[in-house]
Amino acid sequence: MTPNGAFAVGFVLIALAVSNPGPRGLALLVVLTLAFALIELRGAAAIALRRAAIVVLPLAAFMGLVWVGFVGEAPYQIASAAGGTRHAALAYVGGLCGRLFLIVAVAQLVVLRFRALTPLQLIRALALPASVKRVLVITLSLIATLRHAIDRAHIALIAAGTLTRAASLRNVVHGWRLVQAVWLSAVTIVLGRMRDKWPVENTVARLDRTLAGGEARLFAGADRIWLPIVLGAGIVILLADRIGGAF
Amino acid sequence: MFTTPRLILIALGAALNFSIGTIVYMVKLPIYLDSIGTILTVLLLAPDRMAAFFCAWAAAWASLAVSGLVNPFLPWFALTDVAIALVAALLVVGAAKTFRDRPLRSGPFVAQVLMCGIATGVVSAIVSVPVVVYLFGGVTGSGSAFVVALFLKSGKHLMSAAMLSGLLNDPIDKVLQVLLAALLYRATPGEFIAMLRGPAPAIQ
Repeated sequence: MTPNGAFAVGFVLIALAVSNPGPRGLALLVVLTLAFALIELRGAAAIALRRAAIVVLPLAAFMGLVWVGFVGEAPYQIASAAGGTRHAALAYVGGLCGRLFLIVAVAQLVVLRFRALTPLQLIRALALPASVKRVLVITLSLIATLRHAIDRAHIALIAAGTLTRAASLRNVVHGWRLVQAVWLSAVTIVLGRMRDKWPVENTVARLDRTLAGGEARLFAGADRIWLPIVLGAGIVILLADRIGGAF
Repeated sequence: MFTTPRLILIALGAALNFSIGTIVYMVKLPIYLDSIGTILTVLLLAPDRMAAFFCAWAAAWASLAVSGLVNPFLPWFALTDVAIALVAALLVVGAAKTFRDRPLRSGPFVAQVLMCGIATGVVSAIVSVPVVVYLFGGVTGSGSAFVVALFLKSGKHLMSAAMLSGLLNDPIDKVLQVLLAALLYRATPGEFIAMLRGPAPAIQ
């Protein structure tokens, strides 16, 4: 399977989850996603599900607090002004969180499908314009740079007595100085790279050659099996609750 | 238009959106602070509105692509990001000189921050509300859900509650974002800004 095929499959699955299918459609979508996970990722599917749970569980707790605990009604009950129940609110939040879980899990599955590749190799294999690939590579590189800049600025401000290691009111008051220090640190690093390091090492031209050198085929191999399956199943999922009476 | 320094700026803007936006999302504040990088990109490329708009748009969407792994709600607000980039390119670019003035003229500075922030916030709220209501039934994972819930408890209709919440939160949020972007813009070395605005060799 190519990264393009995996991203296309992921896009269709996420679009189907967003379309808010009924119970039958949702069940089919879950089966389809599980099939994709088990066939394409095998054991690594558990990692994707765990990561999705880490993202969605706090969200579910927060939404439960607001909608079940505070509002006590589902949105459609509020709209109809018919008076609602906490049970219905819980069901609504549960359904929404289920869909969100599916969306995050699919995104993680697609990324983990190519866990053996480095980010550079993965981006190289994508069938995208060279400038888009370049922005993606530089963005990932700069996120790492920003993380280093945060560490450095944080330590420097602790050493200067501006911030403290533990949570404190001083950190809240001076938090903005950390943001400024991080930004200036990142800009200085970038300036140094663009002005001195990259011209000497010919980095941009090398990056272009690396990105252009990959075999960025649009769809190949298992893509030609998965894409028709997912598209066909998508039509069935969209129609499942509209034909054959209520579930 | 997309010279190497500007591609770097897009990536920096995306990284800034992602890092601050993710922290705010996780602590559930009723604001977002996820477009500071977008607005800063516009300021750094002023007065070229066309370049500012396209680079800010690219920064916003690049950060969406990364943030979507942490916040599953974000990708559905992609159109809001385009609107923010557009309004910023039209309005905030005009304030770039005031934001950079030395010494700082506090009157015009505050007036420009308020004007740009409120205008961006109102547009952002109007574009976001249909997504919040029709796609998620008013239920989102950000701290602004508390405000929607408060309006609903006071008897407002879902659409009105989401719109009022948006019109209350977004202008405050965007004023803060414009202020923070303006302060970062003031702190940015002139050499970096000259590199972005100057005639650097284009990659393509």
